[in-house]
Amino acid sequence: MFFAILALLPLWSCVVTALKTSKEVILSTPITPPLHPTLVPLMKALDYLKKPLVNSLVLVGSGVMVSSFFGSLLGYLFSKRKFRGSIVLFILIILCLYIPAQVQLIPMVRVTSNLGLHGNLGSLVLLYMLFGVPMCTFIFKTIYDEIPDSFINAAKIDGAGTWLIYQRIILPLSVIPFIVASLLQITIIWNDFIWGLILTAGKANLPVTVAMANLKGSFVAEWNLQMAGALWVALPPLIIFVFLGKYIIRGYSGT
Amino acid sequence: MDPKKKEGIITLLIVLPALVGIFFFYYCFAGWNFFISLTDWKGFIPSYNLVGFKNYVNLFHDPLFWISLKNNLLLILGFVPGVIFIGLILAVLIDQKIRGEGFFRTIYLLPFGLSFVVTATLWTWMYSPKVGTINVLLEKFQLGFLKSGWITDPTVVMYCIIIALIWQFVGYSGIIFLAGIRSIPESQIAAAKVDGASIFTLYRRIVFPQLKASFITAFIIFMCFALKAFDFIWVLNRGGPGYSSHILGVTMYKETFMLDKYAYGAAYSTIILVLSLVIVMPFLYRVYRRE
Repeated sequence: MFFAILALLPLWSCVVTALKTSKEVILSTPITPPLHPTLVPLMKALDYLKKPLVNSLVLVGSGVMVSSFFGSLLGYLFSKRKFRGSIVLFILIILCLYIPAQVQLIPMVRVTSNLGLHGNLGSLVLLYMLFGVPMCTFIFKTIYDEIPDSFINAAKIDGAGTWLIYQRIILPLSVIPFIVASLLQITIIWNDFIWGLILTAGKANLPVTVAMANLKGSFVAEWNLQMAGALWVALPPLIIFVFLGKYIIRGYSGT
Repeated sequence: MDPKKKEGIITLLIVLPALVGIFFFYYCFAGWNFFISLTDWKGFIPSYNLVGFKNYVNLFHDPLFWISLKNNLLLILGFVPGVIFIGLILAVLIDQKIRGEGFFRTIYLLPFGLSFVVTATLWTWMYSPKVGTINVLLEKFQLGFLKSGWITDPTVVMYCIIIALIWQFVGYSGIIFLAGIRSIPESQIAAAKVDGASIFTLYRRIVFPQLKASFITAFIIFMCFALKAFDFIWVLNRGGPGYSSHILGVTMYKETFMLDKYAYGAAYSTIILVLSLVIVMPFLYRVYRRE
């Protein structure tokens, strides 16, 4: 219980402060609920973050679809259609999860500026399509490993090929891994900061995390506005973690 | 054509873009980055004149590198054991079959769902010296003498960061250990209870020794995180005050993208990569050796 209060204290302080007027922030303590709740900071922050919120939605949508599509295919091949060298290839893909982003920053800046995408959202769309593939592959492979091989062998004897097996047996059993992989990718892409910081410029192109960092930098003493902004950025992952937490846990306890 | 062969080719054509993309994005970029670190690229226009290991030699003579490395080691030494130890405690607490297990699990995991930008904003507010939550609470509980400048004080700023990051990751750590505890067969635990083992002996003798895999996983994940950390510190106070919370990732960003010393920054990233690989490689080797 004590730990739970500690875990929630910063979030609580954020919520109550976001609902206070600037005057009340100074006069009351940071943990007391607002006496005269106001929506003004929330509206003002929303106005500031409107376009970036839409940008981040675009990034999440495109990134999640592409990376879970490839993740499912690769996971299937690595789990049920092993070929010569497939384990080495799989390890190389897993290793990607541990390669620090720092080594990719400078080359990615070069590539996007050669493609004419530097500074705009296209560079991030491209990035997030690739970025999530290793993690999705891993999630799909671990969950597909639980499907008994006898299913596959029976279908093989009946003459079904790789894709027929995928369509008829694997895909119908893939609801859970698709949910797990998508939710993980949604939160990871939504929360990512460093790539947006480096690859995008100009207010119209920023993902929401970078816009939030700018808001924090430009309204230094306006705590209620900062907290309101943080709340908007935090909202989608919070909803996912509260209502669909069991899928998230499934994804993270395997790695 | 043989239908089996045809199918193989189609399969290859479908997954190839993804495989090539990954290979390019991770491995070619890492190699390219290493190559850049051997050049004299400075300023926005790339130049690829090879200068050998000059950037690395300069780096080892740069006091800022040693400050960053020292801060990074401090972060690792505080954060990694802290998050593992408290995560283990949480896992044991949640394992007690208490009512509302799901509720507590969700609460502990919540901070992990948030972006570093959000958590850094929250902790800037928590640590704010004048009106921030912590100092106000300390005053309220008559503990005013404990008040501090927190993140504005160079001597304690790294500890503030460690505490905030432990707060954010402890639920994740708890999940890893809980999965480990739950994978131990019920029968073993029941047998120990029949033999009259106290809860303390039960955990010490039966549960903890079987959590080796969880310990290793947690260690690898948090070590790698601590080596490449950037977002949280950058949004919190940009590595300040002064250089007091510069770690490798922060200094790399500054050298590269603020001072345009691309080759020099690439040398920093290569060092971060090498340190991460030193930690991860033995682990992957161990896990996949038998296959």
